[in-house]
Amino acid sequence: MNRPLPEVQSAFARYLTERRGEAPSLIVGDEKADAEERMDLYAGAYVTRLIEALENHYAGLWGLVGDEQFWELCHRYIARHPSTFRSIRWFGDRMARFLAEEEPYREYPFLAEMAAFEWAQGLVFDAADTDRVTEAELQQLSPERWGFLRFRFAPAMQLLDLRWNVPALWQALDREETPPDPERNEVPVVWLIWRQALDPRWRPLEVDEAWALEQARQGAEFATLCEGLLEWVDAANAPLRAASFLRTWLQHGLVAGVEVGAEGR
Amino acid sequence: MSDQRPYLGFGLGLRKEHYHQIAERRPRVDWFEILTENYMVAGGKPLHWLERVREEYPLVMHGVSLSIGSSDPLDLEYLRDLKTLAERVEPEWISDHLCWTSLGGHNFHDLLPLPYTEEAVGHVAARVRQVQDFLGRRILLENLSSYVTFRDSQMSEWEFLSAVCEAADCLILLDVNNIYVSAVNHGFDPLEYLEGVPAERVWQFHLAGHTTNESGRILIDTHDQPVRDEVWDLYAEAARRFGPVSTMIERDDNIPPLDELLSELEQARRVARPIWEEAAA
Repeated sequence: MNRPLPEVQSAFARYLTERRGEAPSLIVGDEKADAEERMDLYAGAYVTRLIEALENHYAGLWGLVGDEQFWELCHRYIARHPSTFRSIRWFGDRMARFLAEEEPYREYPFLAEMAAFEWAQGLVFDAADTDRVTEAELQQLSPERWGFLRFRFAPAMQLLDLRWNVPALWQALDREETPPDPERNEVPVVWLIWRQALDPRWRPLEVDEAWALEQARQGAEFATLCEGLLEWVDAANAPLRAASFLRTWLQHGLVAGVEVGAEGR
Repeated sequence: MSDQRPYLGFGLGLRKEHYHQIAERRPRVDWFEILTENYMVAGGKPLHWLERVREEYPLVMHGVSLSIGSSDPLDLEYLRDLKTLAERVEPEWISDHLCWTSLGGHNFHDLLPLPYTEEAVGHVAARVRQVQDFLGRRILLENLSSYVTFRDSQMSEWEFLSAVCEAADCLILLDVNNIYVSAVNHGFDPLEYLEGVPAERVWQFHLAGHTTNESGRILIDTHDQPVRDEVWDLYAEAARRFGPVSTMIERDDNIPPLDELLSELEQARRVARPIWEEAAA
């Protein structure tokens, strides 16, 4: 009597993740390899492939902690968060939180920040393409309507609060240089990660630009940005400051669309 | 759905390491096979290069996540995304593997073997029919390299493959390296395999390299080496048995410079063409 297929697959799957159970008893062993050795080839390949995916997503984290620590961390992550994704591209999505919560990693908070930084790079890498508004297009609008402008932003951008110097660490590791020591800022810095010319880029934002960008993404009109900037600059300079932010956003391809609010039409 | 086997010539797997060179040099490759899941993304570099290569070359889509043999229900979201990508790519055909990759909502990201039973034939064939109805086209199923034989198996691998494809009216992507690897691992005659497969259903060949496990007694399908001599010999036999079948070299790891793969592809031409020309004469 044959075992039903779901039972066979369930035993096989259990062996992949736990290396135990009855799967070897379902397998023919021979002089080349016994049943357990044959099952172990699958169980080994299962873990190896997932670790390779994490190595690809988290090269900076890997560089920070070294091979042995990284592989141990991967084994723990795989046991805790086995893949539910049909594409391995998404495996590892909970790494930052995992590192922020688990001992001993949580004692080194720059590890979780590194993971968040690397995952954000991945997110912007293959986020949806959009049209891109240019400075020339915007200059065609009459000046009195500028105050009513609202902006739609490209999906290929992420904002990340980082307390640690992880972009500098990442860059050094990427260039195969000795990374600087992890350093903690007194206050978190907002980093913008976006895609330009198909590759991820990033830069730290001044506190007023971070505020303006977050407001603009939430649909604030240009005039509201100018008013809000009075917190940091005087009335004569606020519009100039807002305009300089906007110019940078346009140049970096972040603005996917503009519309003029109802009162400006 | 056309019953005539199209012939695309000699192709390569499209790999990101070669994007720039392919666009700049337009190398002598008749077609490319893309890994479906790599392009099931919203945008950015993968789709950018896909469009560029699509402008110059015929493409086929090769997936790893259909999980056609799983006891889980078919993943309808995956099927929808597959169809959407196919509408964009307009591939010559779509293939996946005769295997399962997921169970209970977990994905193992590996091509896992099935027991060769009547139950499994019925299960897989019904699902293939569902997929084909949804996509509006027949699909190709590829034979695996495998390292285990289930005690419950009631037939040979080639009988299983043939039975599924006959019952589902689907097509076959015959991986010549996988036949060789499995023949060594399970001690069957690879020529018997070739003889046992319905020729009219074989629309594509894969060629790839393999290595061995630690003991050296089991062959592992690693796709990280050049095609081995034994596989070239078996490819010649396959070319003789099946006639002109679109052939490609599948390299997934330890990716060499494009020129190395191009010269390997030349070797495939040198092996198969004289056989096909002689048969046509």
